[in-house]
Amino acid sequence: MIEVKKISKNYGRKKILDDVSFTANKGEVTCLIGINGVGKTTTLKAIMGLTPYKGEILIDDQKMTKDSYEKITFIPDAPTMLPQMTIKQAMVFMSDFYTSWNPERANQLMGFFKLKEENRISELSKGNTAKLNLMLGLSLDVDYVLMDEPFSGIDMFSREQIADVFASHLIEDRGVIITTHEIGDIEHLIDKVILLDNGSVLKEFNTEEMREEEGKSVVDVMREVYQS
Amino acid sequence: MMRYIKLVNFEINRFSKIYLSLLLITLVSQFAGVFIVTKSLLNDARDIMKEERLSEAAYITNYGGIDFNHIANSLLFVGPIALSAVALIFYIFLIWYRDWFGKNTFIYRLLMLPTSRLSIYLSKATSIFLMVLGLIAFQIIILPMENALFNSNVPEVLLSEMSISTITIANPILSLIIPSTFTQFLISYGIGLMIMSILFTAIMFERSFRIKGIIMGLLYCGIAAVLFLAPVLMEIGNFYFYPNELFGLMLAIGIILTGLSVWLGAWLLKNRVTV
Amino acid sequence: MNVNPREPVYLQVVRHFKEQIAIGNFVAGQEIPSRRELAASLNINPNTAQKAYKEMEEQGLIHTERNFPSQITTNETILQAVRQELILAAVDTFVDAIRPINVPVDELLRVVKEKYSEEIREEEEK
Repeated sequence: MIEVKKISKNYGRKKILDDVSFTANKGEVTCLIGINGVGKTTTLKAIMGLTPYKGEILIDDQKMTKDSYEKITFIPDAPTMLPQMTIKQAMVFMSDFYTSWNPERANQLMGFFKLKEENRISELSKGNTAKLNLMLGLSLDVDYVLMDEPFSGIDMFSREQIADVFASHLIEDRGVIITTHEIGDIEHLIDKVILLDNGSVLKEFNTEEMREEEGKSVVDVMREVYQS
Repeated sequence: MMRYIKLVNFEINRFSKIYLSLLLITLVSQFAGVFIVTKSLLNDARDIMKEERLSEAAYITNYGGIDFNHIANSLLFVGPIALSAVALIFYIFLIWYRDWFGKNTFIYRLLMLPTSRLSIYLSKATSIFLMVLGLIAFQIIILPMENALFNSNVPEVLLSEMSISTITIANPILSLIIPSTFTQFLISYGIGLMIMSILFTAIMFERSFRIKGIIMGLLYCGIAAVLFLAPVLMEIGNFYFYPNELFGLMLAIGIILTGLSVWLGAWLLKNRVTV
Repeated sequence: MNVNPREPVYLQVVRHFKEQIAIGNFVAGQEIPSRRELAASLNINPNTAQKAYKEMEEQGLIHTERNFPSQITTNETILQAVRQELILAAVDTFVDAIRPINVPVDELLRVVKEKYSEEIREEEEK
């Protein structure tokens, strides 16, 4: 379980994050929703130790250490390998540095995404870069996967492929946190929603409970909350 | 430990194209220098001998023999050394900044490796240090070859042969980069390491606090410089030290500054740097 | 399966199974896909598939022996009950929709019979 406890972050006088708290459980998909600039990406970076913050973040009841990076991975909205590397070189790099690298799964995902080893990262389209990022992240035997806007700016076919992976490989027993500004067609894949606005949590709810108890879809709740 | 070594290997590989180019340029330029300058010197000598109707022996008495110093001081020889020095100084900054900017966001991956931030810091420092040593070693290897080539191209009567150590000591640049004693080596490269670690830490300040960080970085460099030079500055204020004391003081301050910089830089990389 | 975002997904999966049973696509004792396979094929969260299976298990629609794939129940009573349940649900919806229009029952039944027979005929022609 990832516990985010009252984290705050200022940039100059602007409050990027204001007392944000939530938990993300293993085996569940938690979605941070909010418009761009509301602090979603910053939250993920804070969890990953890529940006300083005030407050506490615990992963399986422990603070983040260097070994945590074998347990938790972040798939940002940008390539994480050198542009001049080929995909093959990127995979070799990953297997060199991570003991949790799973080469069989990597090859499986390569095939599924139809990526070729010889391709250079700088030559990949946006959709393929996203798929490569996903492949590199998911080929690690981690407990938690954090994804920043996995579907934004990507052609529809790639979106479908990525959503497919979500439903099959990805979740299994892992804890997934994704961010998005449009919930769109992936509503039914999400277990928990956290609505953010101006750096604070407006509402946190479980999607199936919301459907069962109030007959509301995620979009309905968003409409309610953001318009008040 | 293994990951640290892998990182060093990785960093060196990344720079290898440029590094090999530097070595190649040095090789070609310096050897070309030997040929070109030798030819020019011989032509000049022959011109003078003709004009002043001097025999070769007389020429030597009046003007001295043709020696390698001329080569060592030429642009073709010194140029590539300066170029390499500038390139590596640039790379002290670039080795960090290249991972943050442009299409390259490799810093994400670097900071998400299951290795301590200190290892990451040290791997970059080590890489640059090793590459500097490599350049020096390369120069040390080709110098005797250049000297031999020079010696074989100049007629014996006009030649004033020099040994490698003489060549090195006589040339200001070579004497700087090729130390003649082990102590000298420790001092030169120790100071180099200290300066690099201070610069690295200044970079960490900038990456942590952006514009405020640049100021903090500059301040840090300034304070470090003042601290290191304090004993010398005190001498200007008429407070004198024995040479041994001066050396010991500066050595101690140097080591402390280097250690402090490495610790501070790694701490900033772990706790304050933002991607 | 089209997912309605306002209704619990797991219940929609259960209903989908009931429909398949009523139609006859799933027969008594038939093996059904694993939770993972179901999630992948329906493009839903495996947790939802898990919840659906649990619900179906509780309702007696499926049973799972340890280490074996789950199977549709062979209990005829339950299978018949499912059929009944779906019929009643559809009728409920229909009655709710048509009641405000205040049609006399005989006329209503006549129209229904005509329409239904027409549908069957068209299907047989295909």
